[in-house]
Amino acid sequence: MPSVVEVENLVKDFRTFDRREGVWGAIQDLYSRQYRNFRAVDNVSFTIGQGEMVGYIGPNGAGKSTSIKMLTGILVPSSGRIVANGYCPWRERTRYTRTIGVVFGQRTQLWWDIGVVESFRLLQKIYEISQAEYDHRLAKFDEVLELKRYLHTPVRKLSLGERMRCDVAAALLHNPPLLFLDEPTIGLDIVAKESIRTFLKEVNREYGTTMLLTTHDLSDIEELCHRLMIIDHGKVLYDGGLPELKRMLWRESALKVDLRDRDQAALLAAFSMPGVAVERADELSYRLRFRREEVQPAELIRRIVNEVQVLDLTMEEQPIEEVVRRIYTGEALHDDAHASPEGARP
Amino acid sequence: MNFAGWTNFPALMEFGKIGFVNMLAFRLRYYTGILTYFINVTVYYFIWRAIYASDPGFADLSFEEMLTYVSVAWIIRSLYFNNIDVQISQEIIEGKITTALLKPIDLQAATLARVLGESIFRLVMLTIPSAFILFAVYRLRLPANLLAFAQFSLALLASILLVGAINFIVGGFAVKMKSILGLLRAKFYVMDLLSGLIVPISIFPAPFRELSEFLPFQHIVYTPLMLYLGKLSGTEAWTALGVTWVWVLALIVSGSIFWNSMTKHMTIHGG
Repeated sequence: MPSVVEVENLVKDFRTFDRREGVWGAIQDLYSRQYRNFRAVDNVSFTIGQGEMVGYIGPNGAGKSTSIKMLTGILVPSSGRIVANGYCPWRERTRYTRTIGVVFGQRTQLWWDIGVVESFRLLQKIYEISQAEYDHRLAKFDEVLELKRYLHTPVRKLSLGERMRCDVAAALLHNPPLLFLDEPTIGLDIVAKESIRTFLKEVNREYGTTMLLTTHDLSDIEELCHRLMIIDHGKVLYDGGLPELKRMLWRESALKVDLRDRDQAALLAAFSMPGVAVERADELSYRLRFRREEVQPAELIRRIVNEVQVLDLTMEEQPIEEVVRRIYTGEALHDDAHASPEGARP
Repeated sequence: MNFAGWTNFPALMEFGKIGFVNMLAFRLRYYTGILTYFINVTVYYFIWRAIYASDPGFADLSFEEMLTYVSVAWIIRSLYFNNIDVQISQEIIEGKITTALLKPIDLQAATLARVLGESIFRLVMLTIPSAFILFAVYRLRLPANLLAFAQFSLALLASILLVGAINFIVGGFAVKMKSILGLLRAKFYVMDLLSGLIVPISIFPAPFRELSEFLPFQHIVYTPLMLYLGKLSGTEAWTALGVTWVWVLALIVSGSIFWNSMTKHMTIHGG
């Protein structure tokens, strides 16, 4: 798999100055300022192969957007190296931008004051897309994104969902081999989200477009990405697959047991097995919590079925949000040293 | 200088069209604009009449020439004026500049194309109507001769580009500054004064006049007007035109270098 993006020891420092408090502080600030270095991206390295869809997640202020800005060439790193599509993004920006598409969820890339279709035509001219190709692609995009309805509305009058669909279409009009999406589903309703996800999947399948997306909505990752990178305080904490991450961090699972009658409930209440905690959910159902490394789910189920008459069994998976919350709050990963791709795969 | 973004003429044409179409949105602005120019010229008419009444040999221009100077100066101001410095600085401060930075087109080229589109609109909706009204109300001189008018037109095209190139650079300073309002204001008044819009450069005190020789501003209004009135003719006229266009090129090239170095320092905050 040829690599499309190579990032090596990427660092971005911002210099901010601390304002002193009060009037006297403000006067002091006029003469001498106290500067402070803030490292937004700290020694990040990774490679992305052709056709990969990579999720880039992390809490607010983790350095995601800063990374994307450097990858798209609008921000110059303090040190480190990026080669994307064979270019150095900030040094060869004009040529590089021809080969990428960019979607910022919080900020449209369309021209604010003109109609969507005028924006598209302008893009057609800028990227020198032939009329046949332009028509073909627009028709294709319309199938999934249903653009035709608001093609003639000025961008400032579109709803967020409509604007995002147009933004995504605009970013892909010139069929770039590499697409960056910074929170593409932020603030969207479920229908709009679904439509954008379907569209991205289709584009990836059909054209082999490589995509890097940041998001706070983890269902984006679950639906789209085979690989995710978790970044916090400017450092990559995890780089690997989602199933591997789950296996690594889902230390606890639960089995919900529904019972036939009260006698059975009494039996189950007395059930005991090392590493399993029995909790009563309601009158006829119990939740058995167990630690993954100690208890085999199959073994647990076999013993339950042997000892009690069961109506229904449900394995309750911890939601991905819970796993990620634990990473962000520092309960997981931070103390496991830095989980490299190797470390992530058990 | 990077020409990669300059050669895509169909895209630049499109930017020109946007500049033109966007002006349509401000219909009230050009009705009030025509009125403003008329009032301005009227005020100057009375001031200059009073000055010439007390001292007819006051300047190297006769009263009639002075009145023509002031009127035509305001008429062409309606053509060369633009506020892309305000627009660009706002886009930088609000971070909307990413739209432009992420496209394989030179922002300066696209901006100048927009400026030209806007000026074509201004020519039709502001400049020509103002000219009709002012020429009807006051006794103004027509261009000295046909050649003078042709040279005046070439100088006007240069004025549009000069103002565009200067405003592009001034707007770009927003990258380095937290607040750019002061700089924008200062430029606004300096340009009106040093271009010769308010008074002809020839009646400035000598040091000012000499300083002005080394600055591009006088070629925005003063040089075109001297060509119009036939005060510059023959080789003098062609030299003045040549100097004007050298300034246009110099400002575009330095603007391009300036902008490329500015983008290296850009910080776009937030999402």
